[in-house]
Parts: sequence; C-alpha cells; structure tokens
Amino acid sequence: MILRRLLSLYGLFFFVFVYAPILLVVVYSFNANTLNMMIWDGFTLDWYRQLFGMETSLTQSATYVDSTDQLWGAVRTSLIVALSTSVFSTVCGTALALAVARYRFRLARFYRTLMMLPMIMPDIVLGIALLIFFITIGMNLSMLTIIIGQSTFLISYVFVTVSARLAEVDTSVEEASADLGAIPAQTFRKVTLPGIAPGILGGWLLAFIISMDDLVITYFIAGTGNTTLPIHIWGLLRRGIKPEINAIATLMLLFTLVIAAAGLYFRSRRQK
Amino acid sequence: MSLAHRKLLQLFGLLGAPTVFLLVFFFGPLLIMLVYSFLTPGLYGGVDWIFSHLNYGRILGWADTRYEKFDPVYIAIFLRSLKLAALTVLASLLVCYPAAFWISRMRPGMRDFAIFLVTLPFFVSLIVRLFAWVLILRPTGFLNQGLMGLGLTGAPLEFLYTDFAVILGMTYVFIPFMFLPLYGSIEKLDMAQIEASSDLGATRVQTFRKVILPATLPGIVGGSVITFIPALGNFIVPSVLGGAKVLMIGNLIEQQFLSARNWPFGSALAMLVMSAVLLLLIAQFRLAKKEAQS
Repeated sequence: MILRRLLSLYGLFFFVFVYAPILLVVVYSFNANTLNMMIWDGFTLDWYRQLFGMETSLTQSATYVDSTDQLWGAVRTSLIVALSTSVFSTVCGTALALAVARYRFRLARFYRTLMMLPMIMPDIVLGIALLIFFITIGMNLSMLTIIIGQSTFLISYVFVTVSARLAEVDTSVEEASADLGAIPAQTFRKVTLPGIAPGILGGWLLAFIISMDDLVITYFIAGTGNTTLPIHIWGLLRRGIKPEINAIATLMLLFTLVIAAAGLYFRSRRQK
Repeated sequence: MSLAHRKLLQLFGLLGAPTVFLLVFFFGPLLIMLVYSFLTPGLYGGVDWIFSHLNYGRILGWADTRYEKFDPVYIAIFLRSLKLAALTVLASLLVCYPAAFWISRMRPGMRDFAIFLVTLPFFVSLIVRLFAWVLILRPTGFLNQGLMGLGLTGAPLEFLYTDFAVILGMTYVFIPFMFLPLYGSIEKLDMAQIEASSDLGATRVQTFRKVILPATLPGIVGGSVITFIPALGNFIVPSVLGGAKVLMIGNLIEQQFLSARNWPFGSALAMLVMSAVLLLLIAQFRLAKKEAQS
C-alpha cells in the first residue's frame, strides 16, 4: 500500500529530525579542527582532555585552567542542588499523593487540580515571582533559594508520578494486611511502600533530571556566584560558540542517558 | 484515641508540611507579583509603595504622561508571541500527527520502544538541544553547507536569528508535549469504524475528516494547549535561535527584570502572560466538560 509506505518513510524522517541534531553534537565533539567546527579535520580527544584540566596540544593558555575550574564548580553546584531538591520534592510529593489517594477528605479533588498548577505555570512567570518574593522578604539569593524555587514545581512532578503508581496498586492487599492484624505503620512499611516504590523512584529520577537541567527558574533566583551547569553553558553560548561546548554536551548526554536507562530498567522490572 | 481521630492526625501529618511549603513559596510569590504589578517603579530600581494602574496602562493604551508614553510596541510583541506560539503548535501538529499514527500501528514491543525513543530527548539538556540547532542553522552550518554542496544556493542563507529558527527550535523541544497526548487518542481509534467508513464508500479524505479527526480531537486539543503554554512565555529559544532579531514577550519580561530593573512593569507583563494562559485553560476545561456530557 502506497499510503503505508509513505507513512513509514515519514516515520524515518521523523526520527532523523529528532536524533540528527543530538548525534551531530556528539560527532563534532571529536573534531580536531580548532578554527571551523564544521569542517571535519580528524579525530581528537583534546576537547575532553581540556574539560578535565589536562594539557592539550591545541591550547595551553592559562585561561583554560580557569574555565575548567568554573565548569566543575558549576557541576558541583548542580549536583548539590539536584540532590537536595529531588529528595525534598520526593518526600513532599509522595506525602501529598498518599494523602489524596488513601484518605477521604473534602479537599482531595481540590488538591488534584491544585497540583497541576505548578507544572502548567509558564516558568518565566514562576521565576520572576520567586525573585520578587525572595527579595521582598529579604532572603539572600543562594543555593537555598534555588532549592526552594525548584521544589515548588518539582513536587508536582513527583505527585503525578507517584499518584499514577498508587492508582495501579491493589488496595485490597492493604485491607487484607489490616484485617490480619497489622498496625497501620506495619501495613505502610510492608505493603504500601514496596508497592509504590517504583513510582517513588521514578518520581525522584524525574525530579533529579529536571532539576539538573532547569535553566529559567534557576536563572532568576541564582543570584551571583551560584552557577549551575545549564547557566554555565548559557553563559558560554552567549560569548560565542566554542568546540568544547560539544564535549560538555556529550558528557551531559551520556549522564542523562544513564539515568533514563536506569529509570526504564526499574519501570520494566515493575511490569513483571 | 479513636480510629477517626487517628486517621485525621495521619492526614494532617501527610498534608501539613507540603501544603504550608506550597502556600508560602508558590502562592506567596504569585500574590506578591500581582501586588507589584500595581506599584510604582522606584527611581533606582526597586519599588515605591504607591498604588497605580499605569503599568497596565503602558501596555494597553494609557500611561502616566509625566514619565512614559503609551507605546503600542508592547502589545505588538505580545501579539507576535501569540502568533509564534500558535505557529509552533501548528508545526508540532504537522510533525507529530503522522508520526503518532505510524507508531500506533506498530507491533506492541516495537511500539513501546518507539515511544521511548520519542520521549528520550526530553531528558537531554534543553540548552544542548538548542545548541545543536545553532550548529545546523548557522551561515557556516550544516544546512547551508548541504544546500551549497548541492548547488541549490550560491551564498549562505540566513536561517539563524529568524522567526523560522525560533518556531523550528520550539517545535523541536516541545515534540514530546505534543506527541504523547496525540498518541494517547490515536491509539484508542476504533479500526472497525474506519473500515466501516471506507466500506460504505467514503474516500480516504472523507474518512479522515469525518471519522479519524473527530475521534482524535481531544488529543489534538490537549497537545496544543500544553505546547502553546510553554511556547508563549519562552525566552530561552528566542534568545538562542532568534538572537536580538526575534523578541518574544518572555525576552521583554527578562529585560524588565534584569536590565531595565522596572519590576512593576515586568510584573504587569508577566500577569498578561498568565491571564492568557488561564483563559486558555478555562476554555479547554469547558470544552472537555462539554465533550464529557455529550
């Protein structure tokens, strides 16, 4: 059938469109040409060496040591922020999801709608609102303000992920556990928690990845001296395109792929 | 302690802290932003606590004649952002609809893998994905080299820093937003109905218009709304791919906060974006409710 063939051909183009830009960055991170990034000039690992502060044949100027320090400082800030934010949002989001799913109360529906808001709010609006707020209450912009700011919307992501999992878990097992004489804490620890653990883990990974990548909200509330990785790259891009951005991007790509693969692994385990 | 009491206590334990956190750090900031949009900018940044509606006037048609003139440029930029966001939605639909259709007809194992492949780029850093498009669209970039290599054009064309680049970039980064809702409704399509339609003599186009399109409308509307919202307020994509040439409302808000330091005016602009988003959501909510009733 012609129509079906056309559709398959289109599908192929679709995946080329989705992946070609990303592959391009990876391939050109190994390009030896220092002057024109787009002209292939042989394979090199120099851009990676540079990122790790090693001396390269290409450049041995003192500025590179600085930029390496800045880069790893940004990586460290991002990791600290992402870890704190994701753990905090996971605890809050899970608590809210449990309350809404397992208790009957009047505001439950209200909460469900409410938890959509932080995800839907345009990030620039939330970013500037947080900036005004922190300045008005006299809170200095620091890593803490970034963690608070990111948590406001990441709680929602965890809430949605855990809620989806809670809806799948059979409540009769929990009831059976209670009928057999388990106290609520025991039921929670032995039945409910293991049941929703994949959802909690998934929500945590999602929050971690989104936090690592958040640019807009962090940009407004980071203040000076709290450069996260996306803000660092944002700064590099504004000063012009340099080949080492390819190498940074490729490493970030690898990092996200590992986390996404881990998430997928846990998801497939849950389905068995 | 009775069971009911214990349950209530547990509920408060779960809800209490997160609720307070969100009230203070989510609703608090939005409320303060609303208040700021009615204040007067201070002479050296900051605000004076004098209430005024002139921030809105400056956008919509009246202004404090002592300081500012009404300038239609702000509303023009807002309308432009609406236009670019709408075009992004349209482009995303055109890109994702056939793809979702194709994937929905695959074998189950392949299908799950294909969906995974579509959503994976969402987890790749936004800034990395945009950077890739800079490499492609630059005058010395891939697209131009390819076009010149094929002899289609003698000199590099300007792709970067155009409306086209911004729409392309937004379409690219929002693909999962459009794809997943679309796929959700296309997957549910009843093949029997489609076959019945063609058995009864409908042409392909008629079947598509009368059967497939109405059945997938909820996915189309849902995907459009959640693509439109982040596209409207975006300032990262226009900054990277539009440069100084393509200004969207998000860039204007950023400028008011970080360069012009006119926070009340910036807040008023942000309120404009938020009102548009809320109107859209209410409209969609009404539509969904109507659909559910019929």
